Amino acid sequence: MNVVEIENITKTFGRVTAVNDLSLNVPRGSIYGFIGPNGSGKTTTLRMIMNIIYPDSGRIRIFGEEMRGSSADRIGYLPEERGLYKKMKVRDLLRFFGELKSGRNVDRQVDSWLKRLDLGDWAGKKVETLSKGMGQKVQFISTVVAEPELIILDEPFTGLDPVNVEAIKNAVLDLRANGATVIFSTHDMNVAEKMCDFIFMIFKGKKVLDGTLVSIQDKYGSDTLRVRSQGGISALQDLRGVDKITDFGGLQELRITPEANPQKIIAEVMTRTMVYSFELAKPTLYDIFLRIAGPDAKEESYA
Amino acid sequence: MRKILKLLKREYLAAVKTKGFIIMLVLMPVVMGGSGIAMYLLRGQVDTRDKTVAVLDRSGFLTETILKAAEERNKQAVTDKGTGKKVQPAYVFEIMAPETTDPQGQKLGLSNRVRDGSLHAFLEIGPDVLHPKPGEDDPTFLISYYAKNAAVDPIRNWLNNVINNELRKKRLVESGIDESRTGEILFWIQVNPLGLVSVDQATGEIQEARRTSEAEAVLVPIILFFLMFMMVMMGAMPLLQSTFEEKLQRIAEVLLGAMTPFEFMAGKVLGGLCVALTGASVYVAGAAYLMNRLGLARFIPFDVIPWFFVFLFLEIIMIGSLLAALGSACNDPKDAQNLTFPAMFPVFIPMFLLMPILQEPTSAFATWLSLFPPFTPMIMLLRKASPSGIPAWQPWAGLAGVLIFTLFSVWLGGRIFRVGILMQGGPPKLSRIIRWAFRG
Repeated sequence: MNVVEIENITKTFGRVTAVNDLSLNVPRGSIYGFIGPNGSGKTTTLRMIMNIIYPDSGRIRIFGEEMRGSSADRIGYLPEERGLYKKMKVRDLLRFFGELKSGRNVDRQVDSWLKRLDLGDWAGKKVETLSKGMGQKVQFISTVVAEPELIILDEPFTGLDPVNVEAIKNAVLDLRANGATVIFSTHDMNVAEKMCDFIFMIFKGKKVLDGTLVSIQDKYGSDTLRVRSQGGISALQDLRGVDKITDFGGLQELRITPEANPQKIIAEVMTRTMVYSFELAKPTLYDIFLRIAGPDAKEESYA
Repeated sequence: MRKILKLLKREYLAAVKTKGFIIMLVLMPVVMGGSGIAMYLLRGQVDTRDKTVAVLDRSGFLTETILKAAEERNKQAVTDKGTGKKVQPAYVFEIMAPETTDPQGQKLGLSNRVRDGSLHAFLEIGPDVLHPKPGEDDPTFLISYYAKNAAVDPIRNWLNNVINNELRKKRLVESGIDESRTGEILFWIQVNPLGLVSVDQATGEIQEARRTSEAEAVLVPIILFFLMFMMVMMGAMPLLQSTFEEKLQRIAEVLLGAMTPFEFMAGKVLGGLCVALTGASVYVAGAAYLMNRLGLARFIPFDVIPWFFVFLFLEIIMIGSLLAALGSACNDPKDAQNLTFPAMFPVFIPMFLLMPILQEPTSAFATWLSLFPPFTPMIMLLRKASPSGIPAWQPWAGLAGVLIFTLFSVWLGGRIFRVGILMQGGPPKLSRIIRWAFRG
């Protein structure tokens, strides 16, 4: 069953079409990653799911129903830009948000989350005394403390150090294990690749990718050849069947054309220089992202 | 409703549980009643140093009168009979022979003595004061008082009475009236200000009219009026700023993930309302208690207080919704500042019109103004509290108007708020705000 069903929604702001005829289904219990460059429509889409703004046309169904006031109580929402009452004490603030959503006492959840994210000592302090990272964790707790069934996180990892990224990531995975459905947007392709069951990419308001990582990669095939060699980038120039070379210094990534034979290309490289290692791989999400939205991206229509 | 109450509670506690609120509660009446209270408190703080006034009596017969009157006054008023403490300055008169050859030089000399502090003032009495020629501007029958602050000097008033009484008496005697009758002839009878005679509801007896004092005629309406003004400043005014700040700090978006914009606005406005009602209750209860203790209970306007609370309730909701809506439309602290003043028109305009309405509460101007919904709460209250009273239907008609207008402004505010709270960039132009209100 799908927790979120979006049918052909369009949203314009003045002359700008932020979201263009978008459809999407988010299955229950999945982690759905939203990726896309800045200004591509991610936040607008998430806000429409939250019913904070309304689509000009199309339909959104949450838990099988068109959004009404009450369904918002079953959704936890972490907006991209954090907002906390600065003068409130951390525990009071979390209690306020939790009770606002759930209508019941959430003291137990508040304490357990504070402990889990290492904020126990800060419970009685005012929000304005927290560091940015701690504030972010408090905001995360405020999103999940009411035990929502659907959790929407807009850029949950920006501004966090690796330790805290790990902590939030594990928390998200646990929430999912307990039955929650998670949608999050991110710029970190690594995180998206590792965490998400499904990946959705939006570009200029349109859906350009939607599916599991494997299905997305399959669409592109094994078209990436990673090579470590003595000659480096200079030994790889003007190879037939190679579309593009990305130089990472010690490693080069060659994108080969669909009709080319990777064996032949490797053989050719070996005649030019000493090859330490090579690997034929599917493109990474990062690479796919750049192919669609990067500066060299070709204008094409994505199905 | 649950969410509105939840937010209301947060807003209320956030406002009330601060030191600022307590300080404001104490400071507001001080600032508002400012000079009045200061004067009341400082009324005993007069300069009790003796005041020496030089007298140049060209008439030749008033010196005696002044000295005698001063002696009597100094005996009566200078020391407190009970405590023996000096509470007023003694008036000391230094009689000088008027210079005839160089009168200006003499006056300059005396002025310099006033300047250096050895003299408080000097008085010059013209030679013909007993027989003035009314309508003519002749220096021979003028009396002049020279001092640093002559216009508001209490000694000048005192001299006014003493000298004129004596002059009138002398004129009467001159025209052949027996001196013993002059007291009666000059007796001044004050016109008493009285309220209306009424029937006691309980006993059916006709009650004597109450003597109305200035306090009742002016103070009660003014105090209630200012109290409402203060409560609007305390409860509604901060809504513009706080809505804007919550928008700026993105708290708005977090809350909108949990509640509708209307619930959000309602929670904030009702929170402000509770703050105002708290403040008003403290003041009203405090004032009633104090007046009771001071034996002034008859001045407590029990018939007006319920109206005060009803109008305050609606005023805060009416203005608060619009202020919150305007706050939601702002993107810049400057916008918020610029909008504050026009947003407060419904309370500032009655403020400017306070005096004319107080003097003529039943004039057509005051009546129509008080029936114009944005002004009704403050002006109707002012008129209702005035001792002359107003027809019984008027507060009710005003109430109906305010009720309708309040519903309209909540609706309008809600529409603007819904769009404005998420709208980033661009100043809050009136045309944009109107478009949000009517087209979404």
